[in-house]
Amino acid sequence: MDDLSAKRTAANPSIVLREEFDNWAILFDPDTGNTFGLNPIGVLIWKHLDGRRTIGEIIDQIREEAENVSPDVASHVSEFISNVSRLGLVRNIEPQG
Amino acid sequence: MSTGLMKSPRGMDIEITTSCNLRCTYCSHFSGPGDVEEDLPLADWLLFFGELGRAAVMNVTLSGGEPFCRPDLRDILQGIIANRMRFSILSNGTLIDRDMARFLASTGRCNQVQVSIDGAIDITHDAFRGKGNFRRAIQGVRTLMEFRVPTTVRVTIHRRNVRELEAIARLLLEEIGLPSFSTNSASHMGLCRKNADQTQLTAAERSLAMETLLRLTDRYGERIGATAGPLAEGRMWLEMMEAGREGRQQMEGRGFLTGCSGPFQTLAVRADGVIIPCLQLGHMALGKINQANLVDTWQNHPELKRLRERSQIPLSSFPFCRDCPYAGYCTGNCPAVAYTITGEVNHPSPDACLRLFLEQGGRLPERAVSPRCGVSP
Repeated sequence: MDDLSAKRTAANPSIVLREEFDNWAILFDPDTGNTFGLNPIGVLIWKHLDGRRTIGEIIDQIREEAENVSPDVASHVSEFISNVSRLGLVRNIEPQG
Repeated sequence: MSTGLMKSPRGMDIEITTSCNLRCTYCSHFSGPGDVEEDLPLADWLLFFGELGRAAVMNVTLSGGEPFCRPDLRDILQGIIANRMRFSILSNGTLIDRDMARFLASTGRCNQVQVSIDGAIDITHDAFRGKGNFRRAIQGVRTLMEFRVPTTVRVTIHRRNVRELEAIARLLLEEIGLPSFSTNSASHMGLCRKNADQTQLTAAERSLAMETLLRLTDRYGERIGATAGPLAEGRMWLEMMEAGREGRQQMEGRGFLTGCSGPFQTLAVRADGVIIPCLQLGHMALGKINQANLVDTWQNHPELKRLRERSQIPLSSFPFCRDCPYAGYCTGNCPAVAYTITGEVNHPSPDACLRLFLEQGGRLPERAVSPRCGVSP
């Protein structure tokens, strides 16, 4: 978990976050036309995937910003990032130095 | 609490030009408020595409006129692509050459190009579209397919081709090898209003079209589709008859003006940049692009709100539907056709009225509704 939480991930800039109803959204890949549904926590995570924050920092941020955060939030965030990474919607940022 | 309305439209239908190289007898344009003199310059469209991108609109459909008449069409498409959207084009197919097809394929963002083909032979297609245009349109389809541009065809059914539907399906699906095509019929809009006697189906011809198309869908399945016209009507009216036979009071989502979900999904823009709810409702000006805020217009414009609320108006409130045994199963159908016939958007469309169709001597195919329509054979 420590290694993963130190990683930085950035959203692929060609992917569109389309917020639709309330805090739910879809990710739209204009190159394929594919769409992926996001729940409100997924939306929050996605907005923090700027390549500057580590996954650990994002987890802390979610704990601060969201209400009724599950005790399993760390594994949820990791699973989310793993899923969007598998779909090619994000890229990992190599550590500098 | 959810309002049930998306924060911005998913798609935009844009009439990119009023110019057209053809004057088809039943074109839905060239006689209404949407038929404006002016085409907006490229710079205005590019600015607007930036706003669409920020609003996370996903798909843009370009129509006209004829979109391929615009010499700067490639720049327009580049603007759509640069703002992270995909596009579709509705075309008569006659101006599509290899260079353009190659370009469309190279973008990787084309959902589809839809070409109008109305006959299996040139005489039928050209009767209302002009001599030589069948050959050109078919060549356009073949060129698009050669370059693997997603291609589909729209067949507009009228009095001259209603007996040719089987041959048209064979041409498009077997000889040319299109994955699918869709159908509608010449409807009471634009030039068709002036030429209704020549073009619009009689009740008997509508019956024939329904019967033929339903039979063809047995053979070709979902490769033949429709959201309007005889195939869509045939399916819906058979469901309504079935509901009547079962003695149901009402079908879910029916009995009100629920025939159009467009105002919940998309917006449109005329060639002069005026935002409208739908390209068939060109008189309902909501503001001008690059002046009115798109998201604010979408969420708050009173005309759009009224249009969305029409689904709460019961058909039983209209004298037109009084004592109609099918009112509890009906959607009132297209508000734009209702408007062109009655002058009222909030009115059921007489063109899609089952009772009227039967009174005029129309008959429904003697067959059970297919399982796809939700009723067992």
